[in-house]
Amino acid sequence: MTTVLRRPRGQRAVGEEPDVGSVPGSGPIVSIEDLRVSFVRGDREVNAVRGVSLGIERGEILGLVGESGSGKSVLGLSLLGLLPTSPSPRVSGRACVAGTDMVAADAETRRLVRRRHMGAVFQDPMTSLNPTMRVGRQVAEAAAAAGQDVASLLDSVGIPDARRRMEAYPHELSGGLRQRVMIAMAIAGNPSLVMADEPTTALDVTVQAQILELIRRLCDELGTSFILVTHDLGVAAQVSDRIAVLYGGRLAEVGPATSIFEKGRHPYTAGLLRSRLVLDTDRTRPVLTLPGEPPDPRSHPPGCPFSPRCDHHRDDCDLALPELSGGGGDATAVACLHPVGVDDVTADETAMVAEWPAVPASTGGRDPAVIVHDVHKDFPLRSGPRRTRLQALRGVSLEIERGESVALVGESGCGKSTLLRAVAGLHGVDRGEIEFSRGMSAQMVFQDAGASLTPWLSIGELIGERLRGEGLSRAGRAAKVSDALALVGLPAEVAAARPAQLSGGQRQRVALARATVVPPGVLLCDEPTSALDVSLAATVLNLIGRLRRQLGMAVLFVTHDLAAARIVADRIAVMYLGRIVETGPSDRVCGDPAHPYTRALLAAVPEMGRTGTRIGGEPANPIDPPTGCSFHTRCPDQVPECASRPQVLVTLGVGPGSRTRSEGSEGLDPGIRQVACSRLAPPSEPSPTEPSPTGAAASDGGEI
Amino acid sequence: MAVAEPYVGQPLGRGLATRVRIRQIRVVGRRASTVDLLAVGAFAVVVLVAIVTPAVAPHSPIVPVGIPFMAPGHGGFLLGSDEVGQDILSRVLFGLRSSLAAAGAVIASGVVIGGLIGLVAGAAGGWVDDALMRFTDIFLAMPGPVLAIAVVAALGPSFVHTLIGVSIVWWPFYARIVRAEARALASRPHIEAARLAGVGPLRRAWRHILPGAVPAVLVTASLDVGNLIVTLASLSFLGLGAPAPAPELGAMAARGLQYLLQEWWVPVMPALVVFLVAFLANLAGDGVRDLMGDR
Amino acid sequence: MIKLVVKRVVSMVAILLVLSATIFLLQKLSRTDPVHAYLGANASKAAIARESHILGYDRPLVDQYFHYVKGVLTGNLGNSLRTRRGVATDLGAYLPATVELTLFGLFLAVVLGGLLGLASAGRWRGAAAFRLIMVSGASAPAFLLALLGILLFFNRLHWLPATNDTAYNNAPTGPTGILVVDTLVHGQLAMWIDAWKHLILPGLCVALGPAVSIGRVLRTSLVTTMRSDYVRTARSKGLTERAVLLRHTLRNSLNSALSMTGLQAGLMFAGVVVIETVFAWPGIGLYTDQSIPAADFPAIGGVTLVLGVGYVVINTLVDVLQAVADPRLSLA
Repeated sequence: MTTVLRRPRGQRAVGEEPDVGSVPGSGPIVSIEDLRVSFVRGDREVNAVRGVSLGIERGEILGLVGESGSGKSVLGLSLLGLLPTSPSPRVSGRACVAGTDMVAADAETRRLVRRRHMGAVFQDPMTSLNPTMRVGRQVAEAAAAAGQDVASLLDSVGIPDARRRMEAYPHELSGGLRQRVMIAMAIAGNPSLVMADEPTTALDVTVQAQILELIRRLCDELGTSFILVTHDLGVAAQVSDRIAVLYGGRLAEVGPATSIFEKGRHPYTAGLLRSRLVLDTDRTRPVLTLPGEPPDPRSHPPGCPFSPRCDHHRDDCDLALPELSGGGGDATAVACLHPVGVDDVTADETAMVAEWPAVPASTGGRDPAVIVHDVHKDFPLRSGPRRTRLQALRGVSLEIERGESVALVGESGCGKSTLLRAVAGLHGVDRGEIEFSRGMSAQMVFQDAGASLTPWLSIGELIGERLRGEGLSRAGRAAKVSDALALVGLPAEVAAARPAQLSGGQRQRVALARATVVPPGVLLCDEPTSALDVSLAATVLNLIGRLRRQLGMAVLFVTHDLAAARIVADRIAVMYLGRIVETGPSDRVCGDPAHPYTRALLAAVPEMGRTGTRIGGEPANPIDPPTGCSFHTRCPDQVPECASRPQVLVTLGVGPGSRTRSEGSEGLDPGIRQVACSRLAPPSEPSPTEPSPTGAAASDGGEI
Repeated sequence: MAVAEPYVGQPLGRGLATRVRIRQIRVVGRRASTVDLLAVGAFAVVVLVAIVTPAVAPHSPIVPVGIPFMAPGHGGFLLGSDEVGQDILSRVLFGLRSSLAAAGAVIASGVVIGGLIGLVAGAAGGWVDDALMRFTDIFLAMPGPVLAIAVVAALGPSFVHTLIGVSIVWWPFYARIVRAEARALASRPHIEAARLAGVGPLRRAWRHILPGAVPAVLVTASLDVGNLIVTLASLSFLGLGAPAPAPELGAMAARGLQYLLQEWWVPVMPALVVFLVAFLANLAGDGVRDLMGDR
Repeated sequence: MIKLVVKRVVSMVAILLVLSATIFLLQKLSRTDPVHAYLGANASKAAIARESHILGYDRPLVDQYFHYVKGVLTGNLGNSLRTRRGVATDLGAYLPATVELTLFGLFLAVVLGGLLGLASAGRWRGAAAFRLIMVSGASAPAFLLALLGILLFFNRLHWLPATNDTAYNNAPTGPTGILVVDTLVHGQLAMWIDAWKHLILPGLCVALGPAVSIGRVLRTSLVTTMRSDYVRTARSKGLTERAVLLRHTLRNSLNSALSMTGLQAGLMFAGVVVIETVFAWPGIGLYTDQSIPAADFPAIGGVTLVLGVGYVVINTLVDVLQAVADPRLSLA
């Protein structure tokens, strides 16, 4: 199907307007020389890019990795010649694409370069597509000049039923399809270079994996170069040929993806790699973190921007900006005076972090903090035919022991947040019960800590509010607030600040202090790290780990990231379309996934050269979930019966040391594993966890 | 004439409003442009003049003091004299005073009535929201100015009736704005966080929602001043204000209409003053909006 | 889509009922007793009571309201206390001139508003000047424009007439009542030109305020849209600025300008009343202006009802048009 698009490298579509940088078949497609971009906001200069030189070869994918404020997006927009005009940027240096300097050329020339040689994919495909124009027309705008057929373009980016989908408006497509439309637009006209700015950040993990695969395939088949701007080293490593790590508007390290990933020499790269959560991160001790926060782009230190956070820091680091040096072959070029040696990586550093103290094991008998029993929850929808209801929870049972940490993992629409909010009491349930044991209560930490703090109230007021009605004096309250702040590692002065004056990481700490000033029995966490930079996420996870041990709280942690779940949780429950499809001890769920969906989620975790079961499609519509096992529409192992058999959790791995739940008993051994896949039920042994009629149906499933 | 003071909208307590504004200025990090500050300053001067009018006006607004139809600058009349020999400058100053007071009163009633309804609807949500907003929408869906004419005509022309008539059609805008802000704030996680922190519904509405709606109301109110001055002058022009000889700008222009071609200043001066005050009020309103961040 | 239309029509009917009830109640509230006023100051108490009974004014309020609504639906708006004719008859005579002025004003407002919005949204030197013009326009009361317009174009330049809608006593009155159409129908070219001359000045005065409002909303909306992600996408495709503006920016900015146009229609009615007074334009505005000193509430109520219905219908149409323009809205 992609033959339509195939073309010899370097040859471009039939030209229309005056000649802009006719492309010879060799030489780099992009060459950036000492690019500097700054914006004047108020009376301060914000330095976004501070002297970057970089080249991109034809047909390669360059991963541009950096945290917020690193200048990666500004760099991308400079190449597109689309820097924002207000506040007006100050630019120097060159950013040539196909021989045209995109920061110096006039608007018309830049436009022609974009038209001929470039394409772009942006983060949020919903807002990046025109809401009032059919997607076919939007693609046609980009494809028309090259005379390409829109349907075959859509087909080539993996949009099923392309001819019908052309007629759709963006809001009628799923997130993954929208992003595919964006990509179709970007590759229309066979550009030499596509700038993809965080193209998968707004997408689900399984969809992210598909999009990354698509980008790699398009690069290989069309010979198009890609710039993949991302905050996630794993995403970059999975598809990129080369990676450039940006820090504080400067290149910290550039080199082949494998070299960066396996032996990154810049202390920042090394730190990023260390604090990345992967599926084999040691979970018996706190995760290694990068201390500190990204630099303020308004006031960079005179020397190496990373030096305030650097554990290899020496005095000469602060004297001058280090230049990139070295490189060539497999080696990476590093802008560091004292790079990390090849051998001394992290062996001794790991040992420096003490193990977590053991969580006191529950004493034989079960002691649940909260019991969720067969909870159902629908949401009526305003649009669509009458009585349309979104089925968010379709029978979920879960127990959380005192002091236990459980993670709910799944993609958008799986009901994980609904369940969390139901446990928090933020909304009721239609059927089923949520029971707290005596003395247990719940507090919650939200995904966007900034939004969860009332902007015009001071931190002290916000935390102090939870102490109202405790009969405390003003001074007593203030003392308790300081204690809570101290516990999360913030100075007492923060109490006088307002949320906007704090950084993202500090706000999440404040949210935690507010939740724990009166320690709850259960701490609910709704993706508390997903809005944070990689280096900060690990810190927050450690903090949650410490708080729960210090204060003896149970934790219910919602995330889409299995790696993060494995770190924070003793037990993981994987959810799909309103039901738990697999639950069990974290190590076992991640190490030996039983449900095909869990396997797919694991395979989708971005990682260097990862391959595995990728699943197609996107989560089915929770308005009308598929019958039987709701995953069967995407399941690689599905058999015809999957569509009809009821989806029930059955217990796996019955053996010494693990007990199954007996009828009528409320408790469930935390060590036990349950899976809702009829093909995995134990052969010839009816499962005791389910009522008889379905048990019989599930028992003849097949191998484990 | 009642106080001409509380109109540029500190309807919700000085401390609260100031604090929020200061926060906004800092967060947005934008400096007020010179134009904005000048406009706000100039309008403040107008307000000041209106307050001290009885002390500074050269003559009585309702007693003839000289020869009729003196052109501006003649016979000691800076803006001329009218058909009965009243000083147009004095009449215009008093008219300005009552105009500003009227605009302030309408905005205040709009903020109080609309603000209360909007806050309750937005904070409560659900059927309360639905019911209150249906009610508001019906008022919004009716042609305000025309309805105001009907109300004043039914009650009989007078200054107070004009205020009532205009207030009746004015509050729904504020209800809508406050409700939209409150609704947006109420669906933000910080309200849920406050709920989980054990904050009751009243305190949530008062402490966690209302202050967030203040900037929007303040901006709307300040942009409304000019609008109201023009609207009120138009009603007065139609004879729906205080009866003669009260110095009302619109009515003065209407009565002077017959002298337009010979003694143009009689109708034009009051009309020009309406324009000037509204112009300054609008510039100042834009200034306030810029100061509060773009809304 | 059909559901949306039905929903809008239902709410329109509800609004109209409330509007009629409001006018009815205002009429009851009005201090002049219509019967007394109608029969004259010398009428005996008995005569008033008899007449009140015939008109049903002694029945319960709800009955009277239904009677009123029935009357309205059959074209009976009561009798004017001043002209002593049926209000419906009076309105029939005055309405066409107002329709003419309003439609022309609305047309001018949309054209001017569009131009102002586009001119002030751009990034060019003149944009600031246009913003100043817009603030001025928003601050100028319609009667000031009318006064200055008359002084300049009539008194000084002698270009345009200042009163009435025609200089001819024998101008045609049918078939539409709208003079610029009727004169054309009757082939009276001189009268046609004369009608346009009479229309220009009041039309401009009526249009300027709404034009500024439309322009402001369009400008805000354009500026926001131009910063949107999808406009960046359009630029990234290498489309010309013209294509970006026409295909991506303008269409998505029109919605708010469109609803502002609907709202402005209502505000324009108020301006029309003032302008008709100044220019002695023989429309319902002049009729209203003459009814106010006479405390002729039946007349004012009738005008309010007619203008109210016009306003509500226009805004319902705008709602439906918006749904056509934005596919996302038809879901709601």
